Amino acid sequence: MTPDFLVYGVINTLCVVLLSPLFVSLIKKVKAWSQGREGPSIFQTYYTLAKLLRKEVIYSPKSSWIMRITPWACISAILVASLFVPLVYVTEPVGGIGNIILFLYLLVLARFFMALSGLDAGSSFGGMGSSREMSISAVIEPTTIIVFAALAFVFKSLNIIDMVTVASVAGIPVSPTLILIGISLFIILIVETSRLPVDNPETHLELTMIHEGMILEQSGRNLALMELSAAIKQTLLMALLINLLVPWGLATTLSVAAIAVAVCLFAVKCAILALIIGLFEASTAKMRFFRLPGLFMMAFFFSTLTIIIEVFA
Amino acid sequence: MLNLLFYVVIVLFLAGTLVSLLGAARDLRIVRILSLACTTLASILLAALSLLILVTGVPFTPAAWQLFPGFSVEFFIDRLAAFFLFLIGMVSSCVAVYTAGYVEHMEGGNRRNLLCGCISLFVLSMALIVASENTISFLLFWELMAAVSFFLVMYEYSQEETRKAGIFYFVMTHLSTLFVMLGFIALYYASGSFAIAPLHTTPASLPLVTAAFLSLFVGFSIKAGIIPFHKWLPYAHPASPSPVSALMSGVMLKVAVYGLIRIIITVFSPDLWWGVLILIAGIASAVLGVIYALKEHDIKGMLAYSSIENIGIIFVGIGLFVIFSCSGLAMLATLSLIAALFHSLNHALFKSLLFLTAGSVVHATHTRDIEKMGGLSGKMPCTSVLFFTGAIAIAALPPLNGFASELLMYIAFFQSVTVVDPLIKVLLFICLALFALTSALSAACFVKAFGSIFLAQPRSKESEAAREVSLPMLVGPAILATACVILGVFAFQILTAFGYALPIPDLFLVSMLLLIMAALTYVVLYFTASREVRISETWGCGAKSQPSSTEYTGHGFSEPIVTIFSSIYRTKKAGTKKYYDQHDCIFAEGTAEIRLLKFFEEYLYLPIARGATRATRGIARIQNGCLDTYLLYVFIAVVAIILFLGWSA
Repeated sequence: MTPDFLVYGVINTLCVVLLSPLFVSLIKKVKAWSQGREGPSIFQTYYTLAKLLRKEVIYSPKSSWIMRITPWACISAILVASLFVPLVYVTEPVGGIGNIILFLYLLVLARFFMALSGLDAGSSFGGMGSSREMSISAVIEPTTIIVFAALAFVFKSLNIIDMVTVASVAGIPVSPTLILIGISLFIILIVETSRLPVDNPETHLELTMIHEGMILEQSGRNLALMELSAAIKQTLLMALLINLLVPWGLATTLSVAAIAVAVCLFAVKCAILALIIGLFEASTAKMRFFRLPGLFMMAFFFSTLTIIIEVFA
Repeated sequence: MLNLLFYVVIVLFLAGTLVSLLGAARDLRIVRILSLACTTLASILLAALSLLILVTGVPFTPAAWQLFPGFSVEFFIDRLAAFFLFLIGMVSSCVAVYTAGYVEHMEGGNRRNLLCGCISLFVLSMALIVASENTISFLLFWELMAAVSFFLVMYEYSQEETRKAGIFYFVMTHLSTLFVMLGFIALYYASGSFAIAPLHTTPASLPLVTAAFLSLFVGFSIKAGIIPFHKWLPYAHPASPSPVSALMSGVMLKVAVYGLIRIIITVFSPDLWWGVLILIAGIASAVLGVIYALKEHDIKGMLAYSSIENIGIIFVGIGLFVIFSCSGLAMLATLSLIAALFHSLNHALFKSLLFLTAGSVVHATHTRDIEKMGGLSGKMPCTSVLFFTGAIAIAALPPLNGFASELLMYIAFFQSVTVVDPLIKVLLFICLALFALTSALSAACFVKAFGSIFLAQPRSKESEAAREVSLPMLVGPAILATACVILGVFAFQILTAFGYALPIPDLFLVSMLLLIMAALTYVVLYFTASREVRISETWGCGAKSQPSSTEYTGHGFSEPIVTIFSSIYRTKKAGTKKYYDQHDCIFAEGTAEIRLLKFFEEYLYLPIARGATRATRGIARIQNGCLDTYLLYVFIAVVAIILFLGWSA
């Protein structure tokens, strides 16, 4: 653990924790506008988190220790995963931090706990959410791994931090096939963050809910932790897409000015991506659950195409 | 010194058997305790001995033992054999400790003494297979292992289900022996010796060598449970006592894996297509194994299918090893082989942990159906934590050992870019996608298993009355769980210590970071958040209480996956409808059924069995039980031999 990496860790964690709630409300705002509504303030998620922290935690008498450790397991897995994706500043990776497979499996670790907590209280909504979440994640997994393999292939590295370094040095996308990967990454982003057309993040109706179903039993500070980890996960996937495709402005040296510029640029790029996600969400309808594998096959197709182009080029 | 230790281990195992045989007449607890103590001690010594050889890396040749002229039982333990001996010793000692508690709750009176004795002999036979230096002793102990494990499976012989499983197992395991024996005979003709030693292939001997490999591959695959030879696992595991399942799944399958690795490394110089064959067999078993596991609601049946999946993963590693070493990529070949070996050890640990804790659960609830469990985490807290550790390990989640070995496998796959042949490259990428699917489905499978067994409310009276199990039944699995954690968290350090500095992330660092992040969050929340906690019933839309029948069941949980993969499950839907009117509007009565097609059984096993029955019916006709006819047969045979000898002279 070098001092430089420690600084990187602090900057990255602070950025991701402080910025993530902003993008969640931003997407909501965009959706509201496009539907002709005023929508909540773009700081609404911060207010909600602050409110939840002040509330008491309620456990069902049927729930076990799984319910009690899940929020902690989720937030720490997601926070460690956040060290794997540089947001504003890149440095030499240490001890295999940044490994793309480990990154994926830290997300799976959080999901594993979340799915179990959905089953814990014995309500059928939670079970429904867990079952659907695990099914969807199983079907999207081959696509994700092929996309990651394609990334490793293009950047000749297994480490996300190294990939971002290569991308930021090159400035422009290092290979035209990255655009194909970008499409697949966008679909993965949509699926992993439970957005339309896979899941509707705004309703608690049993027909649509997947992620919301699983955390239905959570309350108070536990719910705040779950909401925050979902927000951070979304930012991480957005950052992965942004910093590999349009890596301009990343700080490579440790100076206040460079990092300030990088933070602003990152916020702007993320805001644009949030706008795209919001518009995309507003213009699509929820897909029938069993039609989803088709959508995933599309992402799979693009990433396989990338690999085939790279292999035979 | 080592020689002495080796023979002490053998004598102790034999003592474990003898004690129980001598005390077989009476139902005495002390007999069983003594027998199991011998097994435990011998296993610990075996693990220590093999660890010594593993660390020093110096091969060790115990004294040979002449069976009769020309046939001797010889032993040779190198690092590879020592690795598998360590695995056997480690798992068996924990299983023996567990059995000390488990056996007292079993039915069967003094038959239980024999169970303990057979376990000792079973472990000994497996250890000696691994230590064998020539094919003669390999086959001898292989057959001993097959016979003893058959007795163990048949423990509850009075039950119809067990008898069926036992016969199925007996036939399959002897098919395996048959193929292994054929392979060894072909090897003998190709090399002229019974030694397991490097074979020099000439163009003339190539067909024979290929036949030897294929035959051995089939033999080991049957024993390891590779699809389509897997059917005995889901029958034998639910039928046998839990410690036996743990040994069979955790250790015996690995002995078959050892056989395959041994012949590939030591005997043959493999071709590329052998690697492709092993890889495809492995990936097919992995995917189908986990898909069938998701559908299974018998807890031990599910674990059996999950073993098929994991053996598939190990075969994938072996296949990659062959492919990479044929492509001249020594570094990647080593990486894949270590991944396969590491996964063998990991699977042995977490699968026996899961089988043992599943045994505790079955003991507490008197059912194997996970739909009738539920709510056990409050009633059996220690067992639930142990099962949970196993579930995290088997679902390949960081930072436990299952993840460490799958990570090695992924890295090998990701770097397969360097393979020259583009077709192989495309094949590897397809396998990578399927491999990822397997891993995600196994996470889903164990969310379902843990959720249905331990979470929510009890779904049956038995489950309601469940109590925590006795101390030995917790200690054995607890050691295994600790080993799972240590092998995962310190994977990088352990591999480096053994001289394999591989490019893998430091999981110790990651686990420290996980703890630091949780601690930081705790500190922040300590100062900012409310600490009030209330216990209150979940709002059930106005209903006064939520009965356990409203819970999500295991069937419900896996339903979406079953629907998505319905073409693999081959469900048959059938129904009849009757109507009162001729326009089919007013429904009168009808039936509907959804049946799972047992694909391999109905399309592969049964046709072969029927063919065999038909063939034997012809032969059976000459057996009419009449002495005169048999005399005639003898006469005809003698005349035929005389004629044949006269002809050839």
